[in-house]
Amino acid sequence: MTADAFLIATGAFMPGPPIPNARMEDHIGRVNGRDSALGRRALRWNGVETRHYALDDHGVATHDNAGLAAAAVAAALDDADRPSRDLGFLATATTQGDLIVPGHASQVHAALGAPPLELASFQSVCASSLMALKAAVLNVKAGEARLAAAVGSEFPSRWFRPERYEGTDLVDAKGRLPVEAEFLRWTLSDGAGAALVAPRPAADRISFRVDWIDLISYADRFETCMWAGAAKADRFDLSKSWSALGPAAAFAAGAIALQQDFELLKPIIRAWVARYLELVEAGKIDPDAVDHVLCHYSAESLRREIVELLVAAGSMISEEKWFSNLKTKGNTGAAAIFVMLDEFARTRPISPGDRALCVVPESGRAMVGFMMLTAVDGAER
Amino acid sequence: MNELAPISKADEATASCLRRLGTEWADFEARLHATPLVKRLDQGKFRVEDYRALLLNLRQQVKDGACWIARAASHVDEAHFELRSILMRHAATEHRDYKMLEQDFVAAGGQLKDIQSADKNIGSEALSAWMFHEASKPNPFGLLGAMWIIEGLGSMKAKEWGEAIVAQTGLPRAAVSFLLYHGDNDDDHLKEFEAMLRLVAPAPGVADRVVKTARVTGRLYALQIEEIAV
Repeated sequence: MTADAFLIATGAFMPGPPIPNARMEDHIGRVNGRDSALGRRALRWNGVETRHYALDDHGVATHDNAGLAAAAVAAALDDADRPSRDLGFLATATTQGDLIVPGHASQVHAALGAPPLELASFQSVCASSLMALKAAVLNVKAGEARLAAAVGSEFPSRWFRPERYEGTDLVDAKGRLPVEAEFLRWTLSDGAGAALVAPRPAADRISFRVDWIDLISYADRFETCMWAGAAKADRFDLSKSWSALGPAAAFAAGAIALQQDFELLKPIIRAWVARYLELVEAGKIDPDAVDHVLCHYSAESLRREIVELLVAAGSMISEEKWFSNLKTKGNTGAAAIFVMLDEFARTRPISPGDRALCVVPESGRAMVGFMMLTAVDGAER
Repeated sequence: MNELAPISKADEATASCLRRLGTEWADFEARLHATPLVKRLDQGKFRVEDYRALLLNLRQQVKDGACWIARAASHVDEAHFELRSILMRHAATEHRDYKMLEQDFVAAGGQLKDIQSADKNIGSEALSAWMFHEASKPNPFGLLGAMWIIEGLGSMKAKEWGEAIVAQTGLPRAAVSFLLYHGDNDDDHLKEFEAMLRLVAPAPGVADRVVKTARVTGRLYALQIEEIAV
C-alpha cells in the first residue's frame, strides 16, 4: 500500500465550562460527603489545572458519550466544510461506552445522523485512539473510503460519582477510597476529539500526512495495570471478573470502578521508553528531525532517571518542542490525542515539512503507540 | 532538564549502545515480572517466607559480585587504565554488600547459618560462572553490559521491591535495608556508567559485545529468580 493518507481537519467537543481544581468535587461529588485527602497529591502529579465534565454542578449528566463523540465529528466536518454524507468510514475509540452492547460506533453513527456508512468500534484505554485512527488511515490508503473519520470520546466522570463507590468494598472503615480508585477521579475527565482522513490534503490550509502509526502491546509480559471489572486482587483471574460474578455482586466487591496499580505503572513506563529508543535506534524516529511532540504525558512527569537516559542516548527531544493541552483540557483518555491535535493545528505556527510525533501510552495492560505526521500545504501541491 | 547538554556526534556510538541497552533492560524487566516470585509481589501476595527465599538466593551471587568486577579490572590493560580504576573502586564499594543480605535475613526471622551455608541455585551457578568467564578475558569490556543489568536492578527495582515488600509483609524497614539502601544510593549510576561506556564503546565490536553481554546476563539473572521456589 503506497497511497498517502492525510489528516485534513480536526474537531473537538469539550462539554460545559472549564472547571478549576477547587470546583471539581461539585461535579464528581464527595465520597461519603468528605473532601478527598488524596486529591491534591493527584493534581500535583498530573498537573491538570482545568478540565471539562459532562455533569453539571449537581452531578447530573448533560450529555452521553456517543453525543460527545458525534459533536466532535461534526466539528471536524465543519472544519473541513464537508457534509456528513461524504463520510465512508467512521472509527470510534472509547474506554467505556454508554451501552455494553452494541459497539460504541453504532451509537455515534446514530447521534451524528449521517447516512449509512462503514463502522469500527475500538474499545481500550488511551491507545484505542490510534487504533481508530490507524483503521481510518488504512481504509483511505486501501481506497475503501474517500473520507474517513476517527473519533475518541470519554465520559468517565459519571463513574466517579460517590454512589458508584459507597456501599462497596472499596470504601475503608473511615469512609475513604484506596489510592488506586481515588487517583483516577482526580486525573480523568470528559471530552471528545476527531480527525478526518482523506487521500489528498485540503486545498486551502495545512494538512498532516500520516507517515506511519506504530502501535504495540506488551500484554504478554505485564499484568493488568489500569482496569474496571474486577476487584484489585482478583484482576489476575478472569474467572473472578464482573462478567463471572454478575453486576450486583461485582458492584458490592468494588469491581466496577476504574482503578490503577501505581507500582506496576513504573516498569510499564520503562517499556514505553524502551520502545521509543528502539524506534530511534531503528532510524524510524530521528529526534533532531522532529519539530513537535504531542504526548499526553508531560515531560515533567517522567522521572529523572528516564530523562537522563534519553539525553545520554541522544534521544531526548527538547522540551520547547513539546505541545500539550493537558493542563487546560484535562486527561481525556482516548480523546486526548485528538483534542491535542485540534488545538495544536489551530494555535501553533506550523510550516510545511514540519514533523510532529504523537505519543500515546496506555497503561491498561501495557501498550504504546507512536504516530509520525508531516505538515503539508495543499495549495502547494 | 534543559541544563543537560545534548550529545556530540563523537558520542553517537555510546548513545546508540545506550538505546540498545534501554531495550535490553525492558526485555529483562519483563522477564523478571514473569517469574513466579515477582508475580507474587506484583499481585500483592508476597509473604515473609518469599522474602527470606529471595535473600537466601541473592546472597550467594551478590557475594561473588565484587569478585568478578575485581577480576575484570585485573584484565584491563594499561591503555584503558582509567576504566581499570573505576572498576577497582566499584569492587571496593560493593564487596561487603552481601553482609547486608545476611543481616536482613536474620532481621526477617532467618538463621544466619542457613543463609551462609546455602547453595547457589541453578540460575546463580550459571550467572556466576558466566561472569567469571567473561571477566577472565583480556579487556572484558562486554561486562559493562552485565553491570548495566545488575546496577539497573539497584537503581530501578531495589527501592520499588523494597517498598512493596515492606507494605505486603509488614516487616520493619530495617529488615529490608539491602533493597531500600540500594534504591537510595544508586542515583548517579547512569552518569558513571555512561562515562565508562564512552571510554570503550567507539572501538569496533565493543558495543555489540556490551549489548550481547547485557542480554545473556539478563537471561541468567531471570533464571536465578525463576529458580526461587514460592
